[in-house]
Amino acid sequence: MRRFVAFFVFALLSAPVRATVLVPIEFRELVAVSPIILHGHVVDVRSDWIDGRRAIETIVTVEPAEYFKGDLGDRVTFKVPGGELGRYRTIFVGAPVFAQGDEVVLFLDGTGAAQPHVVGLSQGVFRVVPDRRSGLSLVIPPAVMGRTDVDAEPVVRGDIARKPVPLDTFRQAIRQVIAEGGR
Amino acid sequence: MRRALVAIALCAAALLALASSADAYLKLGTRVNGRIIGLKWAQLPIRYFVTNRDVPGVSAAQLQQTVAAAFSTWDSAPDVALSSQFAGFTEAPPLGNDNASVIGFLSRPDLDRVLGSTSFTVDTVSGDVIESDIFFNASFPWSVADAGEGGRYDLQSIALHEIGHLHGLGHSALGETELRAGGRRVLAAESIMFPISFSPGSTNARTLRADDIAGSGDIYGTSAFRTSQGSISGRVTKNGAGVLGAHIVAFSPASGKMVGGFTLSDDGSFVIAGLDPGPQVVRAEPLDDADIESFFEFAASVDVDFKPAFYNRVVVVPRGGTAQNVEIKVSAK
Repeated sequence: MRRFVAFFVFALLSAPVRATVLVPIEFRELVAVSPIILHGHVVDVRSDWIDGRRAIETIVTVEPAEYFKGDLGDRVTFKVPGGELGRYRTIFVGAPVFAQGDEVVLFLDGTGAAQPHVVGLSQGVFRVVPDRRSGLSLVIPPAVMGRTDVDAEPVVRGDIARKPVPLDTFRQAIRQVIAEGGR
Repeated sequence: MRRALVAIALCAAALLALASSADAYLKLGTRVNGRIIGLKWAQLPIRYFVTNRDVPGVSAAQLQQTVAAAFSTWDSAPDVALSSQFAGFTEAPPLGNDNASVIGFLSRPDLDRVLGSTSFTVDTVSGDVIESDIFFNASFPWSVADAGEGGRYDLQSIALHEIGHLHGLGHSALGETELRAGGRRVLAAESIMFPISFSPGSTNARTLRADDIAGSGDIYGTSAFRTSQGSISGRVTKNGAGVLGAHIVAFSPASGKMVGGFTLSDDGSFVIAGLDPGPQVVRAEPLDDADIESFFEFAASVDVDFKPAFYNRVVVVPRGGTAQNVEIKVSAK
């Protein structure tokens, strides 16, 4: 049984990886350019054809627990490129993939569009994960939280100061940037 | 990072290599019939169309020439069986499900901050790749100038990256960045597959690095590639448990080449293939400075709470074989 479980986990986790070339968004800018910022749970995920069956997109519905910025009501629906319909799967590499039950902090933009989209493709998605030991809800914060007091500073991988933070800390960081005018 | 690796190399001892077989790298994959398979072109040459659309600074003809040059760079990698063929211009834009691989410019306001991206359509029963499109975001300023142009992104560099994806490669984390007031920029990258673009005007990403060649060879390598290169397999552990999503770097002090890989299962196991035979210094580090979503689908499960650590010996990679049982023990931050 143990062997089976190990294989099953491997099979689930060994591959799908993502890809695209991004222009990075600094955290303060991310807050500033996102009209909608919320924390919530994904309650529905489904794919559909767009542009007269020219491409597949995925429609994600989230039930917000709280809004940090903006308000789209009790349920928010947004789109991400790619998805699966029938026998065919379109993989839009770099696009975030959601599942029912996911807990997330989302930075959305819907300016001029029928449905909002995630800002910066994957850069506006932060997963909320319970810590097994403490039970706290943790978020892996952006690599760069937006200091303005430096000229140039290398981003050092493994920096001991950079670790998952409680959701409440992340919440405060967002609210602080908003209180400062968004930038 | 390179300085630190060399320092460790000087005081490390040797590990004898074992067995054979080169397996996983960071490759794109998808689920088919309940199992994960790598995205790979079964038939070569890869036939692609180019969208007949100009954007400011780049005509459709220049786009075609630039894309052909980027394909040629990948096709010319040593001991790799890759080939490509321009099938003609088309009025169809990229990102459509039309059974044709289309490369072109497209305006997609919802894909802000994305310079370019690659999509695949896959048959979920057979696992076959039906088509793969590459789009370049027409909202950005582009250049095909030989020496680059200030304020414009180098099309050939981005095309080279996206074609790496089209071949089935995922992202590499072999890059260094710095924070400047209001932004972040790439200082250096040892892989074309590093996901953050160099600044506008730079043409630094027009040539493949060791990491790209290793990945490409892992998927499309000839028998000469398999017999001339080697691999390392092992685990990254923290308090005895496997670490998922750790970035592993193998550095050859002799050649200065760096090749990266990742732990892709809960038990913390990894394999890095396409390595030069001989001594390699191996390091594990957390992917804590990256947009993890752009690397893995299982972003929520990735462990970034550990300090970088080196394997305590030099690993000697055998020609055509695998150095096994390399366990790198890390500790929490």
